Amino acid sequence: MGERPESRVDRIVSGLLRGRRLKLRGGDAEEKEAIVMAARLAAARGGPQRMSPAFRQRLVKQLQATPPESWMTRRAALVAGLGVVAGAVGGGLLGRSLDGSGTQPGAAAGHVVRPTNGRWVDVGSVADFVPGEARMVKAGAVGAFVTRNGDSVSAVSSICSDLPCELWWNSSQHSLVCPCHNRAFTAQGSSIGTYKLPSLDVVQVRVREGRVEVLGV
Amino acid sequence: MTSEPRPPDPPEEAVQGQVVELPAASRVADMAIDELEMIYAFIYSRVGNRADAEDLTQQVAMKAIPRLRQGSPASAVRGYLFATARSVLGGFWSTRLGLSESELHEDLAMAMPQSGYSEESVERVRQVLEQLSDNYRRVLELRFLHGYSLKEVAAEMRSTVGAVKVMQLRALRAAAKVRLDG
Repeated sequence: MGERPESRVDRIVSGLLRGRRLKLRGGDAEEKEAIVMAARLAAARGGPQRMSPAFRQRLVKQLQATPPESWMTRRAALVAGLGVVAGAVGGGLLGRSLDGSGTQPGAAAGHVVRPTNGRWVDVGSVADFVPGEARMVKAGAVGAFVTRNGDSVSAVSSICSDLPCELWWNSSQHSLVCPCHNRAFTAQGSSIGTYKLPSLDVVQVRVREGRVEVLGV
Repeated sequence: MTSEPRPPDPPEEAVQGQVVELPAASRVADMAIDELEMIYAFIYSRVGNRADAEDLTQQVAMKAIPRLRQGSPASAVRGYLFATARSVLGGFWSTRLGLSESELHEDLAMAMPQSGYSEESVERVRQVLEQLSDNYRRVLELRFLHGYSLKEVAAEMRSTVGAVKVMQLRALRAAAKVRLDG
């Protein structure tokens, strides 16, 4: 006599609710939709899950032991579907990276923006910038948040390093906030929070005769 | 405004911003570890237990990380990791259920979550439950969300263990049929 479907599924449900691995037997596939749903419901019980510290540490060790020489080529990335999948998430950024890599092989997020045929664009008087407050400026196609620190200025890209969204300056929190996923950065571009994102790209800026100039295009 | 084109390579002192420089390899690995948190949450939301979620996340990491490009932005890393995760999950269900991947239901294709740490998965479960009849929703809520035993569910619903077991199966089948927009 075979196991009744309701008993079959309850055996799997009971295992899941005890935190056990999914152990399926021959014939369980007949209830595949119910089993998959049971796994999703069991997962929802505890809310979003995080890796345990021990597992995270194990992964870090394994990754550190991974040889870096086999970095994926652009062609391999595209063949593997990277372009298609990432396009759904942040096509703009991906395209920038893949295309930009041709001219700057070592470029990574958080690096200095070096536009081809860049030109210094006047974005205002130093006095226009309140010390410690990031202010958004446009230098042609380059958007940046410029912050005045005494007599000097610094600037970071106005685009989040993770998603292709324009940041905004939260003056009460003194941070640059990405509206797409509420991640925040300091005015100098460092990621704030437990899970660090890459730093914002650095935009080149200078002061000439009391005027702030940003390297744009 | 200046209109005169200038060489793109300005004097170093012009750059005031802080650049965080890490070796390229560890940089990608660091970024990937953070992204793997999302992958873990995503996988966990599909398999419902820690041991399988850890194994599969590890598989994703070992398959995908060595192939990531130096300098890839987080979005590209995430996209590739999720693509790998979907493939690994497909293989997992296929092996466990003894079916070819083409026989697996489309639901198992597992769309990439848009929000962090799979809050979306939890929200979807809530939305699915809302679509069910009162009895079906109640049995699944008590069993899965509150962790009741069959006996406790039976007592709560003034029913028998056998009847609750059947209702649980029917409720799961019904939940699997719920289609949500988006």
